[in-house]
Amino acid sequence: MKIAACVKYSLDVAEIRVDVPTRKLLLTGVPRKLGNVDKNVLETAVMLKEAHGGSVHALGFGPPEAKDALLREALAMGADEAVVVVDPFDGGLDPSATAAVLASALARMGGFDIVVCGEASDDDSTYQVGPRLAESLGWPQVAYVRDIAVEGGCVVAERDVGAYSERVSVPLPALITVTEETNTPRRPTLMDVLKAKKKPLALWELEADLGITPASLQEAATVKQLGSEAVIVSRRQTVLWNKPASDLARELVELLVQEGVLEGHDP
Amino acid sequence: MTGRSGEVLVFAESRETCLELLGKAREIADTLGAQVDVALFGESTAAWAHELGGWGADRLYTVEDPRLAGFSVGPYTDALVELLKRTGPSVALFAATKQGAEMAPRVAARLGSGCVSSCVDVRVDPETRCVEAQAMIYSGRGVATYLVKKNPAVLLAVPNTFARKACGARGLEVVAFQPTISDQRVQTLEVRPRATEGRRLEDARVVVDLGQGVREADGLTMAQELADLLGGQLACTRPVSSERGWFPEWLGLSGKRVSPRLCIALGVSGAIQHIIGIRGSEFIVAVDNSEDSAILTQSDFGVVADLHEFVPALVEVIKARGLRLA
Ligand SMILES: Cc1cc2nc3c(=O)[nH]c(=O)nc-3n(C[C@H](O)[C@H](O)[C@H](O)COP(=O)(O)OP(=O)(O)OC[C@H]3O[C@@H](n4cnc5c(N)ncnc54)[C@H](O)[C@@H]3O)c2cc1C
Ligand SMILES: Nc1ncnc2c1ncn2[C@@H]1O[C@H](COP(=O)(O)O)[C@@H](O)[C@H]1O
Repeated sequence: MKIAACVKYSLDVAEIRVDVPTRKLLLTGVPRKLGNVDKNVLETAVMLKEAHGGSVHALGFGPPEAKDALLREALAMGADEAVVVVDPFDGGLDPSATAAVLASALARMGGFDIVVCGEASDDDSTYQVGPRLAESLGWPQVAYVRDIAVEGGCVVAERDVGAYSERVSVPLPALITVTEETNTPRRPTLMDVLKAKKKPLALWELEADLGITPASLQEAATVKQLGSEAVIVSRRQTVLWNKPASDLARELVELLVQEGVLEGHDP
Repeated sequence: MTGRSGEVLVFAESRETCLELLGKAREIADTLGAQVDVALFGESTAAWAHELGGWGADRLYTVEDPRLAGFSVGPYTDALVELLKRTGPSVALFAATKQGAEMAPRVAARLGSGCVSSCVDVRVDPETRCVEAQAMIYSGRGVATYLVKKNPAVLLAVPNTFARKACGARGLEVVAFQPTISDQRVQTLEVRPRATEGRRLEDARVVVDLGQGVREADGLTMAQELADLLGGQLACTRPVSSERGWFPEWLGLSGKRVSPRLCIALGVSGAIQHIIGIRGSEFIVAVDNSEDSAILTQSDFGVVADLHEFVPALVEVIKARGLRLA
């Protein structure tokens, strides 16, 4: 089975700070890493390979620095090959552009049976790239997969749709999206990382390798960001501590009464 | 009134989400002097559909087809794309639920349209029909404004963002639509409904929010006692929901959002993806045994203590003083 794992070199959103007076989101210098859910993507892909044979190909559209993360995580976790398509816009285009690039790279690598994505990326969380990519490939999709097996040329998957869960079956080739609950990603050892260094790891350029000009990609993007601002929620941040629980409880209750949140009543 | 299709189409996944989306759809349509369509799919048309005229809909497109009996993204996408091609609205509104989020981008991709996720507001220029959407970004840290370059703008609206508005009885034209459904590759083998909780967390005035810091053995009982005392409801973080099976729903980016008068977070670390679910609360109280926990900067009153000692003490004080929610 030829398995693709689409992984995103994402911003660590917990590290995004805000400049309160200007309401600006401070994005420069925010650390980036392979997203959490992308590790579930890789784990799913590698487990499928272990169960059914074949190969795992990790693919990311992102900055050249993503290469190192793909080596240490994707290849070390068990992918056989990794490709980073360099994004000249560094994430600045919309999900339709990302899906178009991924579809084109997958076509160039060729012959996939299954493509695994995350339900939502750690930073943009649009939930769009998986379904859009499935549509570009003309493949069926199964989203929010919790459990997966391949039987007789079909994927049988358990998926969580919120109000209910269901078991579905779909013939390959198919695209699935997985959630953080799907599995516990393996942690590569130093030995795995050393072995990974011998595996193929390529940087592709949009135009040279995929024949997509950056201008045409930008033109084809269906949505354009006009601006953004931080959401500022200011809380009092009063902290009570370092006292016995009963004293802390009395202090908290007093504060809530003063604020008019709690009131006395005659029993 | 008949004949012209609406400028705004609402995909009706459920009555709740449909009424909310209609609130916004009506507002947009009124600024354009245009009409609102609703698309409702199923084996048969749900009874509530006929009241939609009172909530701002002008026309209801029903598709009654056994292949649409349960939600499946392939057939639903086929049906909706054909309907949107036929009616050609400027905006198609979906609720940003799991079903919405797996279908809307696929619909947009097939139409070559722009799609914006996590929308909290929409504006349509009456002259140009250009659609601008505001959406949450970076798990709710920020809000961005997007221009959709290709209509219909397919928008996924965050649930509980738009208010439903009753608008007196309008005539509702019902149109039966028969699309061609070809994508039936995904087969449903078994559907297991989640135990419904029979309550709307969104309506709770007090929410006691449980995180992974709550002990499995006795934490739930303590929290329940506190919630009962204040007439509140229990809720939890995503890992608590997935790992403990206490509650099927969780609060946050990928879950529900609540706006009670008081939210008491117990053993919740304050990850932004969770905070977004509770930041509409008027007051947030957090109990965490780590003074470095991010939740303390996201709350009005933070208590650094072991919650299993603190909660019983709090229950004592509230009982002793005979207090209740004001
Ligand atoms: C795309 C995406 C979407 C997500 N969506 C959601 C979402 O919708 N909702 C959601 O909740 N999460 C979501 N998450 C996960 C989120 O990032 C956090 O991992 C999660 O919210 C953490 O849950 P927690 O606070 O229960 O657990 P933890 O982070 O483990 O926090 C436990 C807290 O309890 C404290 N504690 C431990 N013992 C005690 C004690 N005895 N007394 C008092 N305090 C104690 C600890 O100090 C800690 O602060 C999402 C993540 C991603 C990437
Ligand atoms: N730039 C990218 N490179 C590779 N895969 C991506 C990229 N962006 C999104 N994806 C995939 O699509 C999923 C959903 O992303 P999103 O639509 O941003 O929420 C991610 O979990 C990845 O599997």
